[in-house]
Amino acid sequence: MNLHGWREVKRQVRESGAAGVAAILMVAVATAWAGLLWTLHGWVHRELLGHNQASTVVAVLRDPAAATSLTSALEARPGGRRFTLSRPRQVQAELAGWFPELATVLLALDEPSFPAILKVEAAASDSASLATWLAGRPEVAVVKSSTQWQERLERTLRRVVTLGFVLAAALLGGCLVVVLLVVRLLVLDHADEIAIMRLIGARERDIRLPYVVLGLALGATGSLLGVLALLGLDLALKASFPALALGTELLIVLPLGGAGAGAGGAAFGLLAIPKEP
Amino acid sequence: MIRLEAVLKSYHGRPALRGISTHIERSEFVFLTGPSGAGKSTFLRLLYRAELPDDGRIVVDGYDLAALPRRHVPGFRRRLGVIFQDFKLLRRRTVGENISFVLSLLNLPEKEQQRRAYLALKQMGLHNRLNALPDELSGGEQQRVAIARALVLQPDLILADEPSGNLDPERGHELMELLKSINYQGTTVVVATHDRSLIEAHPARTLALERGHLVRDAWGAQP
Repeated sequence: MNLHGWREVKRQVRESGAAGVAAILMVAVATAWAGLLWTLHGWVHRELLGHNQASTVVAVLRDPAAATSLTSALEARPGGRRFTLSRPRQVQAELAGWFPELATVLLALDEPSFPAILKVEAAASDSASLATWLAGRPEVAVVKSSTQWQERLERTLRRVVTLGFVLAAALLGGCLVVVLLVVRLLVLDHADEIAIMRLIGARERDIRLPYVVLGLALGATGSLLGVLALLGLDLALKASFPALALGTELLIVLPLGGAGAGAGGAAFGLLAIPKEP
Repeated sequence: MIRLEAVLKSYHGRPALRGISTHIERSEFVFLTGPSGAGKSTFLRLLYRAELPDDGRIVVDGYDLAALPRRHVPGFRRRLGVIFQDFKLLRRRTVGENISFVLSLLNLPEKEQQRRAYLALKQMGLHNRLNALPDELSGGEQQRVAIARALVLQPDLILADEPSGNLDPERGHELMELLKSINYQGTTVVVATHDRSLIEAHPARTLALERGHLVRDAWGAQP
C-alpha cells in the first residue's frame, strides 16, 4: 500500500470514532476471555486432572485372610507397582479419624465389621487394566479407581470449557460484526468518493485495501490490549498461582485471531461497495 | 481514436442518444455542443465507460468498451484525462493529494508525485493552495484543480464536460488555449460545451447534438 493508502487509513481511523473504540474494546474483551479460558483449561488438565501422574486403584477385600494371596498375585503381575494393604483395624482407625463425631461408635464395633483395603498406585495408562484385573479376582468385593472421578470431572470441565469457548467465539463473531458495521458505515459515507476514485482510474485494490487495513488495525489493536490485560493478570497471579502460566503460543495466536476477525469484518463490510456497470 | 457505431442509450425508457455514429481521429480537437439535455454528458460518460450503451459499439483508443472486462476498466481510464462538470474532487483530501493520488496509481515514487503535482498546480496558478481542502476553494479554483488532475497524467485523450462552466470568460479562454496547446502536441481533445462564444473564438470540428440525435458535424459554430 502506498502513502495515499496509509493516509486514508489514518483518516478512516479518525472517522470511525466511537464505533471504532467499541470494536477495539470488544476484541480486547474477547481475546482476554479466550486467553484466560485457554490458560485455565491447561492448568486444570496439567495440575488438577493430572493425566500424566499416578492414579490410585482401591480394592475392598471380601475376606481379610485372602489378602496374602491377592498381594502375591499382584506382585507376580508384570509391571511392578507400589501397593499398601490396610488391615481391618487400620481401616477402623482411619475411618474414626475421618469422622471424629462417629469415632466412639466406630471404635466400639468389632474388627471383622471392617474390610481389608488394598491401595495400588499405578500409572494412569495402567489403571484401567489393573482395575479390571482386580475386579476379576475372587478375593475382591469392590474396586474403585481415581481415574473414574477424574473422568467425571473432566467430562464436566469439558462441557464448561466448551461453553466458554463458544462464548469467546460468539464475542469474536460480535467483533467481526462491529467491524463490519464500522466499515459499512464508512463505505456508505464515502460512496461518492469511491465513485470518483473509480472514474479517475483507481483499481479496486486501491479503494478496498485501506478499509481492510482499518479492520485489521482495529482487530489487532483490540487483541493486543487483550493480551496486555492477560499479561498483567499473569504478573499479578504469578506469586499466588505459579502453575497458572500464560502459554507463549497465546501471545501469537490471540493477536492473529483478533486481526483476522477485524480483516474478515472489513471484507464483509466492503460488500456494501456498489459494483461498476 | 474514438469510433461510435449506431450507439443507443436510454434512461428508464427515455432515449438520451439515438443511433449516434461518428469517429474522431487521433490528435483531433472536437467540440460537442447542443442545448441542455441534448445528450452531451451522456456521450462523454459513454466514452469514459461510466455507462454502457444499450446498443451499438464504442471503441476508444483501441478498447471496445462494451466488451472491456471490468478488471481492465481502471487501466483504460488512466489513459484518459477527464474534466468533469461538477469537478469530482476528493473532498477529504487536500488539493495536492487530489493531484498526487492519480499519479500514485501509476506507482510513481512519492517525491516524483509531489513534484509533478506541484508543477501541474503551478500551471493553473494554484501552487499556493497545495494543502487546502477542495471545500476551501472557490468554484473556479476547484475547476482548475480538476483540470490539473486531468492533465497531470499527460493522457492521450482529454474529455472535458463544460470545462469553462465555472470560470470567468477570461479564464475560460485561457483554458481553451491550454487545451489547444496540448492538442498541438498530439493529444486528442473532446470538449462538451454549450458556450457558442467559446466555439467561435476557437474554431474546431463541432458535433452538434439535439434530443439525442447527431444533427451536425462541421467546422466551427453553427451559423
